[in-house]
Amino acid sequence: MLLVRPSTFSDLAGIERLLDDTDARVTTLPKERDKLSEKISESDDGFRGDTDGEGPSSFLFVLQDTDSNELYGTSGIDAEAGCGYPFFNYRLDEIVHASHHLNISSKVPVLFLSHELTGRTLLRSFTIDPALTKSDGFDLLSRARLMYIAANSDRFHQEVIAEIQGIFDEKGACPFWDAVGRKFFDMDFLTADYYCSMKSKTFMSELIPQHPVYVPLLPPEASATIGQNHPAANRTCQLLYREGFHQSKFIDPFDGGPVLKAQLRYTHTISNIRFKTARPSDVVGGMKYLISNQSNQDFRCVIGTLVDGIGDSIRISLDVADALNVQAGDDIAYSPL
Amino acid sequence: MYIRPIQRTDLDSLCLMAKHSGVGVTSLPDNRQKMAAKLDQALASFEKSLPLTERVYLFALVDESTEELAGICALESSIGHGDVWYNYHVGKSVHASREIGVHKITQTLYLSNDLTGCSEIATLFLMPNFRNNQNGHLLSRSRYLFLAEFPELFGDEIIAEMRGYSDEDGNSPFWESLGRHFFQMEFSDADYLTGLGNKVFIAELMPKFPIHVPMLTAEAQAVIGRVHPQTEPALAMLKSEGFEFNHYIDIFDGGPSVGTKIKNIRAVRESKTYQVGISDQTPAPDFGVKHGLLMVSNRQLGEYRVLLVDQGAAGDDTLWLKPAQANILHVRAGDTVRAVSLRPKEL
Repeated sequence: MLLVRPSTFSDLAGIERLLDDTDARVTTLPKERDKLSEKISESDDGFRGDTDGEGPSSFLFVLQDTDSNELYGTSGIDAEAGCGYPFFNYRLDEIVHASHHLNISSKVPVLFLSHELTGRTLLRSFTIDPALTKSDGFDLLSRARLMYIAANSDRFHQEVIAEIQGIFDEKGACPFWDAVGRKFFDMDFLTADYYCSMKSKTFMSELIPQHPVYVPLLPPEASATIGQNHPAANRTCQLLYREGFHQSKFIDPFDGGPVLKAQLRYTHTISNIRFKTARPSDVVGGMKYLISNQSNQDFRCVIGTLVDGIGDSIRISLDVADALNVQAGDDIAYSPL
Repeated sequence: MYIRPIQRTDLDSLCLMAKHSGVGVTSLPDNRQKMAAKLDQALASFEKSLPLTERVYLFALVDESTEELAGICALESSIGHGDVWYNYHVGKSVHASREIGVHKITQTLYLSNDLTGCSEIATLFLMPNFRNNQNGHLLSRSRYLFLAEFPELFGDEIIAEMRGYSDEDGNSPFWESLGRHFFQMEFSDADYLTGLGNKVFIAELMPKFPIHVPMLTAEAQAVIGRVHPQTEPALAMLKSEGFEFNHYIDIFDGGPSVGTKIKNIRAVRESKTYQVGISDQTPAPDFGVKHGLLMVSNRQLGEYRVLLVDQGAAGDDTLWLKPAQANILHVRAGDTVRAVSLRPKEL
């Protein structure tokens, strides 16, 4: 059975292998072991609620097959985007340039540097074994985060955002970066991206141009990629759109990829969530649901079947109860798959 | 050849010159009505009937043998009062991060009205058939004697805007990379509208935020502050008088603005006053040589005159004029004149 749970240090090797295999661009997950274990350590603090004076919490989950103990993916949450530092985006806005006298009127798209999304809850670090991309495991890994947020809603912002990979090719050529960031950072996209995962974010503030960027001044191949997601992120976008996310006016300042946004309470997962007590049973049928326990530190989420009904308790399979580490009478939550 | 203030009867000649000047000389609109208005403004300026800041002094270069107009030039007392005066200030931005070892200096263009209130070395146009015998130098540099004589009519600083680079077909790389995206018109049209004094459209359409120079095309970046090939001699002349690039450029073609304090202009600093003496013996000027000529002005506002004499005409305190020269200058023996060598010594 596939299970989502908090990452631990024993996952290090598994996560490294996963990052090597998928070769996905996950800026918040560095491939260097030291940095990676730092991330797990931060996440540990987050789950323990132990971040006094250390700034806002981060959470890193893994997707694991309980039969083989293999890791199949990672996903994460930053309780506050930027984690105490400015969270950079470009906001795509429009300025009207009009001359009544000359009968000219045109809307000029302009990119404004923005920190507006700083402090929103950020879904991040999504990596999945390509073999599972089309499985329920994909939904489980992504949406388990919302189940966790639902169980601990006071620790998160009402607005959730997700940064989606923008357009770049295998060789690392990124039209948006090459037209904007590269002119000021003096490095190619992959290098900048690497620094993003390895270094503190101060270099962003130091290097990113402060003035707005007139989109018409960019080469057409760069302006065409503004707000466009990488084809590899299609499935992520579809899932988030189904969840109730929508494309915002914000884009990634590096690759121009879109930032998706949703109000937590209107997401599909959370607006359909039920909180009940578990009643483990060997007779269960019904529809597929995401089912999670309500533990802060030992959070678990799986996919199982159940028959929703009235009453304060709900019947779940023994397998599910076992995977969630819950007994009869423990609090659980579930939301339709 | 001599310089005098423009007269009402010069309108036809002015219009003819505007036709000749073409794109790039924005201050000579090929439009009779606008030209007449310009002429009125100049006449009122010499009569001191306009507020100081609105005065424009137009001068004509005249062939005394035919009274034909050979060229014109102008001084603006104070720019940016009636119309708004726009430039891009070429500034530097440093993008540096010690942490990742980056230190990059880029240029940024800031839309500004900083030059408002400066005086301006404005229009100059010389008819092609008169481009000889130091006429260009006389026409251009005669203005410095006017500035030396009447500093109270001008600001402390003076600038000149130089026509920016464009290719043989009249395409401005700077315009193509920047202005075109916002104005949606040809460079020549924008230029024409500006010449008509219709500058409101600039405020309406111009991008207000600073422009990151690295985001312009390489061709556009290369011509920031670069003059049109035909403007090189004018630029050299201004530089020889002490003008320097002041890091402001034209918002349309990226041409440089050059400036200096009026009191620091070479011809202003070096000019001296002399008593007029009349003599038939005074040597005749040789217009074929670059050096050895003096510009002489009569120090009068409404009847302002300048002509060239041989430097041998100057004694310690007396400048010896032939009777014909004195006639042109409207001076008599005992009057004072102001004179300075036409060119700086080192050139």
